[in-house]
Amino acid sequence: MTTPRAVLAGASLPVPLPELAVTPDHTQLFMFSAVTWNRHHIHYSKDAAVAEGLPDVVVQRALLGNFLARLLTGWLGEAGELRELSWKVLSSATPGRTLRCQGDVIGREADPAAPGLRCEVRIIDEHGTLIAAGKAKLVLHSLPS
Amino acid sequence: MNSELPDSVTSRIGVSQTRRYQVTARDIRRFAQAIGATDPVHSDEAYARTTRYGTIVAPPLFCQSLTYDEVPPEQLPADGSPVELAVPIPAQRAVGGGSEYTIERLVRAGEAITVTSTLKDVYTRQGKSGLLYLVVVETRFAAEDGQPVATEVATYIKRV
Repeated sequence: MTTPRAVLAGASLPVPLPELAVTPDHTQLFMFSAVTWNRHHIHYSKDAAVAEGLPDVVVQRALLGNFLARLLTGWLGEAGELRELSWKVLSSATPGRTLRCQGDVIGREADPAAPGLRCEVRIIDEHGTLIAAGKAKLVLHSLPS
Repeated sequence: MNSELPDSVTSRIGVSQTRRYQVTARDIRRFAQAIGATDPVHSDEAYARTTRYGTIVAPPLFCQSLTYDEVPPEQLPADGSPVELAVPIPAQRAVGGGSEYTIERLVRAGEAITVTSTLKDVYTRQGKSGLLYLVVVETRFAAEDGQPVATEVATYIKRV
């Protein structure tokens, strides 16, 4: 695995991030709705979701974003922080299916005062369907001099 | 452009609501569990003291847990969707479309966060199965000193 520091120092781009695989289940969707106080029935009632034309209850937009955030912060570790994350939901994700969260570092800002990395990120389900895609900006902590 | 939208919708664009919440270590621990984040910096005070933060900090998108107003159930739309999306358009079925989230710094346990939610835009787009209404909600999160902590601009898609 190429570390954030090595990427900043000049590793050849793009640099793929270690993949994060998650399999959200009904309990996780329930917990996420609870902590966000999201009472929208498409996240807990299959009947309601199907009546609205969805395949099943669907993984929350915001939870998909948190999976992408985990992909990025898991790679960053203590080297830095997530500064910006944008994503679009392109297809419904449903519980019990494995989601592969992937990304690549595509750019770097080597300014020593504000070193940063730019990434592209995506979530693909087990059938290869693109569930979400987006971009991120990471900031790296300054090294002690 | 927005000729499909009645004045009752366009007049609400730019209208804000403000609330204030005290964030507890329990709130952060529960959010971390819900997203599957196992880093003890979100849950273990003794460990967190050894990190650069010196205390428990939240996962980067934690402010999403402060986004939706906890109005009484009878004030929610029939589908239970957040009141922030409840604009008078002829489309009821909502799904999350996307998000632009900016993090200035991580939220710490014990601090108060002021939440300002603004209806930024409502516009239409022709989808494969008919007209789509896109509802854009901006939520700003600020610390007690007024400094921004995070901002999220979320887009929701509503269909007839």
